[in-house]
Amino acid sequence: MPGPPPEEPKYTALRSAGMLLAIPTLLIVAPLVGGAIGGWLDRRLKSSPWLLILGLILGFVAAGRETFQIYRRYQEQEERD
Amino acid sequence: MGLEFLARVRRTSLWLSGLAALMVATYLAPLPGLAIAAGAAWSLANLEILERLIVTLTGTDRAALPSRARAFGWLFALALLFGGGALLLGVLPAGWLMIGFGAPFAVMVAKAVSGLLLATGLWARLTRSSWRAALLVIAVGGLAWLAVSALPRAGAARAAHATAVAAQASGEAAAAGSESQHEGQKELGFPTVVTLLEAAAPEAGWVRFVVRYESILFSALVALILGVIGFFASRNPQLIPGPLQNAVEGVVEFINDFLVGILGPRYGPRYVPFLGTLFLYIFAMNLFGLLPFMHSPTASLNVTFALAITVFVYVQYTGFKELGVIGYVDHMLGSPRDMTGWILAPLMLPIHLLGELAKPISLSCRLFGNIFGEDMLLVAFASLGISMLAFSHLPFGIPMHALFFPLALLSSGLQAMVFTVLSTIYFLLMLPHEDHEHDREAHPAH
Repeated sequence: MPGPPPEEPKYTALRSAGMLLAIPTLLIVAPLVGGAIGGWLDRRLKSSPWLLILGLILGFVAAGRETFQIYRRYQEQEERD
Repeated sequence: MGLEFLARVRRTSLWLSGLAALMVATYLAPLPGLAIAAGAAWSLANLEILERLIVTLTGTDRAALPSRARAFGWLFALALLFGGGALLLGVLPAGWLMIGFGAPFAVMVAKAVSGLLLATGLWARLTRSSWRAALLVIAVGGLAWLAVSALPRAGAARAAHATAVAAQASGEAAAAGSESQHEGQKELGFPTVVTLLEAAAPEAGWVRFVVRYESILFSALVALILGVIGFFASRNPQLIPGPLQNAVEGVVEFINDFLVGILGPRYGPRYVPFLGTLFLYIFAMNLFGLLPFMHSPTASLNVTFALAITVFVYVQYTGFKELGVIGYVDHMLGSPRDMTGWILAPLMLPIHLLGELAKPISLSCRLFGNIFGEDMLLVAFASLGISMLAFSHLPFGIPMHALFFPLALLSSGLQAMVFTVLSTIYFLLMLPHEDHEHDREAHPAH
């Protein structure tokens, strides 16, 4: 007699959608925030365009790092389910 | 979210951005077309490198020397890509470049949302018969065509109205001018109780107050309604619940299960009241605009930013409380444990700070953009319905926007869920790792 069907992981689709929607905006917003802060500092310190470029680069790195963190947590969740 | 998903995103983005670049180059000018293509290529290369970097860093052999060398290689490639991006920004128009850059992300969002829709029973039922599926495709195509034709019309009407308002404002004092502009902005949406009050008594001081704080008052009204429902549902709990208690218990159980599933049994119950309230509040605010003479407070950036700031402050407070001041600073420095970590710590601090700052901005902009866009779509279709019956001079139109109510319901729920899921993940990233906690409890000597 076959046993009961394996239980479906709860709300996996919702969680996946949440993760996928988080990554694109973070990847766009973090460099923009870095660029904005760098640009503002450039205007204050009259160092244009170096701090803008530095802010953009740091923003991209921050975005990549956050994406990595979210992906890692997601993987752990998947393994737990 | 497997790697095959990203491969599909890449393929679709390539086709989409290639087509968009060709169309813009043909019908507008070659340079913007080139900028779209370059922006999309840059964005796809960025995603590819990030993907490979993450795969290298999360692989089973990540501690081995070849893996570390590969990771440094990808980091170097990323640095080269940034240099190339800076050059492109200097040569090509930045706006078109950003459109190309955003294309893969737009594809990712569309695929995520459609993936959610395709998994539902409703979609399975709709597409069980090929005839019904074909009819659905025709209906969706027809609606998209109508949307494309209706949106520029709404935009033109808005521009004409703005011109009229500006002309009116130029003849008045500066303060009066700003009031008129405010009034002009009100005309973009559906009429609400506030616009009716404003029309009835434009000079009354309290009406001006209501107009000025419209979004805040509507959000307070939503909170009041939710509070009253919660009060009546929990006032006299019964073992065999009535319809209201049953419905509210069902909602609370769903939210509790979902959030505890993400945060784990240790921290989950502690944050369910805040995060659950956030979900219900945002969902109710999103839906509020669908009621006649009401307005979605989440279609205002001020409200969504306030919500995101609340989450941000609570997450930082949680970090201080759970990790302690030294633990929080250690977290911000990237938890350095060896010499390399300490050397990189001054670099990790601004990166971490930028990441933390980006979170509330991305949360608020996503919610605002989606709900505002949804409202504008409904307005555009309502105006299309009115203009379709304009020849008859009847005081009403065809309710074309009603076709989009199911989409608005889905989008409202999804956006509230996304805001809550992301807030939960931000808490999760700040909290101590549960597995580590278990290890510590199991081996207290370490």
